[in-house]
Amino acid sequence: MVNFIKRDNDDIYSKPIMGFLFKNQKFLLTLKIVVLALFLYALYFGFAHTGKDNTFTYALFWGIFWSLFMVATLPTFGRIFCGICPHGFMGKYITKFGLKKKMPKWMQNRYIGLFLLVFGWWGIYYMFPGVYRTPLGTATLFTVMTLISFMVYFVYRDMSYCKYICPIGVLTRAYSKLSFTWLGTYKSACNECKTFECATACPHGLKPFTFDSRNSMTDCTLCMDCSDACEAVSFKYKKPSFSLFSKFQILKAEVWAYILILASIPITMSFHHGIGRSNAADDMIWSKTAEFFKGFMSFGSVDPIGLFAFLYAMLFTISAALIGMLIASKILQKDFSKVFYDLGYSYAPLFILGSLAHSLETFFMRGYKQIVEGFAHGFGFDLHVLSLAQRGDSWLHVFGLLKWVAITWALIILYKRMKLLDADKMRKIIAYPFAASLIVFFLSVNMYRAYIIDTYGRASGDHRSHKVMKNFNTHTKGVAKKVTATDIIYFTDKNPVAKKSSGWNGSYMQGGARREVPSKKVWPVFKNESDKLNCIRDIHANLYLLDTNLEVTKVKQSKGRGCKSVSFKMPNNGYYNLFYSDSFVQKNTLYTSTAKYEYMRFNHSNDAVYDEQKMSAHTIKEIPFDILRLREDGETFYHRLYSGDNIRIKAILNSKPIEGASIKLSTETGWSKTIKTGKDGIATFILLKDYFPEWNKFDRRHKNKFLLTATYTQKIKGEYLYDDYEKIKHTVTYPSMYYPNSSAYKSYAYGLLAAVVTMLLSGVAIYWYRRRNYQPFKEVRFDEKD
Amino acid sequence: MKKIRDFINRADISKFRFWIQLFFFIIFIYGGYFSINLGNSIPVFSCGYDKEVGGMCYFLPLQHQLARPLDVLLSAASISVAIGFVTFLLWFIVFNKAWCGYACPLGTMQDWLTGLRKRVGISYSTYTQPQFNKLKKIKYILLALVILAPIGVGLGLLGGEWRTAFCEICPGRMITPLFVGDTSQWSLDFSTKSAAVLTTIGLIFTGLFIVGSFIKKRFFCFFCPMSAMHYIFSDVALLKLRKDGDKCTKCGDCYNVCDMQIKDIADDVQSTNILRDDCIFCMKCVAACPEDDVLYVDFINYPIFKSTKGGFTKRMQMDSLEKKDD
Repeated sequence: MVNFIKRDNDDIYSKPIMGFLFKNQKFLLTLKIVVLALFLYALYFGFAHTGKDNTFTYALFWGIFWSLFMVATLPTFGRIFCGICPHGFMGKYITKFGLKKKMPKWMQNRYIGLFLLVFGWWGIYYMFPGVYRTPLGTATLFTVMTLISFMVYFVYRDMSYCKYICPIGVLTRAYSKLSFTWLGTYKSACNECKTFECATACPHGLKPFTFDSRNSMTDCTLCMDCSDACEAVSFKYKKPSFSLFSKFQILKAEVWAYILILASIPITMSFHHGIGRSNAADDMIWSKTAEFFKGFMSFGSVDPIGLFAFLYAMLFTISAALIGMLIASKILQKDFSKVFYDLGYSYAPLFILGSLAHSLETFFMRGYKQIVEGFAHGFGFDLHVLSLAQRGDSWLHVFGLLKWVAITWALIILYKRMKLLDADKMRKIIAYPFAASLIVFFLSVNMYRAYIIDTYGRASGDHRSHKVMKNFNTHTKGVAKKVTATDIIYFTDKNPVAKKSSGWNGSYMQGGARREVPSKKVWPVFKNESDKLNCIRDIHANLYLLDTNLEVTKVKQSKGRGCKSVSFKMPNNGYYNLFYSDSFVQKNTLYTSTAKYEYMRFNHSNDAVYDEQKMSAHTIKEIPFDILRLREDGETFYHRLYSGDNIRIKAILNSKPIEGASIKLSTETGWSKTIKTGKDGIATFILLKDYFPEWNKFDRRHKNKFLLTATYTQKIKGEYLYDDYEKIKHTVTYPSMYYPNSSAYKSYAYGLLAAVVTMLLSGVAIYWYRRRNYQPFKEVRFDEKD
Repeated sequence: MKKIRDFINRADISKFRFWIQLFFFIIFIYGGYFSINLGNSIPVFSCGYDKEVGGMCYFLPLQHQLARPLDVLLSAASISVAIGFVTFLLWFIVFNKAWCGYACPLGTMQDWLTGLRKRVGISYSTYTQPQFNKLKKIKYILLALVILAPIGVGLGLLGGEWRTAFCEICPGRMITPLFVGDTSQWSLDFSTKSAAVLTTIGLIFTGLFIVGSFIKKRFFCFFCPMSAMHYIFSDVALLKLRKDGDKCTKCGDCYNVCDMQIKDIADDVQSTNILRDDCIFCMKCVAACPEDDVLYVDFINYPIFKSTKGGFTKRMQMDSLEKKDD
């Protein structure tokens, strides 16, 4: 036994806070007692309140313990879940007073626990969804498990329950190999040790001083009892999963745990919950098999699709692993079983990191709310909190990275373990992709799921599409109208019926698949007499698009019911002009109504060339009357309009500038001004400052939208579609917007003041400091008489 | 061959450096007038707010790229981030930190201010070693700001004005455009509270930059996040500053000439790669070293500039006058 040891830098026990959390026995004991008390209280609560209002039992067992806490700690700190497990904590004392028998050989089988987990829990879960998760079901399940564990603890010695019977014992042992912590001992101290306190203290009968040399912590649950017994026990930071990079005694059950858990959780979930909720769900093999069997037998309350999804997931996963490894073993000319179990450890990160991503996402979307409200409920409070995130929040995608980390990590482990095999290098290279078969399978299932959902979409029963449809049906009725001759049509890029609070925006997409070519969607709208915004139910007008290469194409309106929109793709950088052109004859007058929409697309790329000819304002010959916003000198792709800017508008009739057209600029706030064009057909407006918010609500990206409406009446006789007319009334609209000028929010005076004051203050401070510390030279004289 | 080598080793590095710095200063600050554009992944503070910039500081595009919504950033846009980053690395690994000492316009300005200070006759200060050790961490904090602030914008946690949070507080943004007659950056932005705070800090830093340059050599480089970024990747760079500790007599000449006050250059006789995070690779230490082959600069393991006794004596005679009033 050692009472003092100089700890290494990477020893967690030597750190002030972490050391306290992992070593302080009083703290650990309190923690274990609190966990036990919570556990028992939740069980009691589950029996006492079996209704749905009991959120506490659910929050404790399914919100925290499984799976959030477990998957969050396993690949990081290791098996601390087991360290504070109430079963293990109680078991330690029960075993002390128990019969201490040796477990019979047939029970010393780690597949018992694994079987309980995979079939007893996950199999049942897919067959009878929701049966375990009611408060009563939860309480019953855990009470039964507690009773079984206590019995086994009482009869057999060395906490054999944890090793062989506990459903998550093998799982935690297997996945904790990824953690970056390591319980070991200081060799220098252990070499002279004759008393082995650590081994005596261990309730599991393990020998911590052998962990380092065995390169395996075997069944250690990190209960930290040994660290209390001897100071030579260390708990160190290591490279994550470092032990997998060198040899150790393999345990076949661990490799099977990786495979079976991968099959029963992420793969089945992808099948049943991912693809199963897409429009293509019915075409999948498990649905078809379930349909097929339904013809022969009745399943009762069993969910046959879930059952077959589970069975197929098992089948596919196990065969992917076996076949790949079989080929690899043939290529390596090695015994299959050696190759399979040696390299099988590389599967470790796949499930646990994928599951971690899922658990964290769930925690932010629902879990946090459930846990806080459930705990409040359990202790008699009534508390309501908001979730930390909404489904579809963009930052939640960051957890998607973890899946890629998992795959990369698995490939690295495979590479390192492959290195340990002694075989020909060439053969190893060829065998590598085959040995990675399960990793590739996992990757392809993920990609396949994203592909299916991208291509076929989520099933329409989904709440999302439901909501949108409802939106359209209720709101468009009053808004969509027919156009008459005197209506002034203009384009808007804002959906006239969309409500602001529709939680989903259409641009959300699964995975990384994004459209290559951006597009713009606009709605032609007009206002009726009472200033109410109307959209168009069916566009009869001609729609033209003038693209960046000055080519004109005809465009079609959107399909579907409700407000019609117009979309156009913008493959290049530059201005796109969309024209809406319509004509009516009414009371001997020909009305030509044009709506123009000019939009500059710029992708901020370096290759974009600002061609002044192409970027200048253009009209098309199909439009009789048009207005152009003339470009100013030195406009670039970064050009924007700001308040205070001048804009020059040129009116054009049949490609010639026209004098006397009246052009009205009206802003959203209701201000408007009308100017007649001069001889050159140009009218100049100053964009006035029209944005006066409270200072703390100022938004410098505020869009002052305005609409230019130009009209011109031409006295000319003619005929349009067999109707005679005596004059033509031309109208064209052009929407645009400008930002507040920087002078509205920027101040040079204060800026200079800040800089100058800083310079003066710091200059003076330094001068003063130097003066104070300045010591003039002084001659020191020594009197040598003494 | 030996003649060429001797010539280089006896060369007056300070003159060489002055002309190179002037050259790069013109390229980076006035490059636009000559239609020079070296892209926007340049590993020095050649500020993108300068309208005539001949090659843009990598941090401006980096921050813009990272500020995209996270789902965009993690999908297609990650390629553009990767391209920008690889371009940055390719520029960087050729010259290592010599970008700081020879090409950075903001560094050059500080050298010129130091020259002005010498003329005026103000003495310079140094940090004490504990101060030095504490302050040197600031650049990593700023680097974290460069990377985390735009990601925060992409996550929707921070307002749009944090997109280029570092640029807002970087003195380069105020000072560099002055050289093309643009004073528009010297203003406080009151559009939001955080913009007001950031621009105020920016102008305070600008004031400190100017005052600091008069009392400390390369005042700002000590806090420069680009320097921190360089250091992270300096192991893969081709140009290396090396030291042969066995021959070192620990005379401390190299430490005395070091603008950045790097103690390791004299004290450390263990490491062969003597480049530290504060180093600006000005090679003054190599020029000042009185021993043969103790400090040397090599390019892909081929030594191109070595400390020599001969070079030392030659330079010392030349520099003796300048040395006095320093």
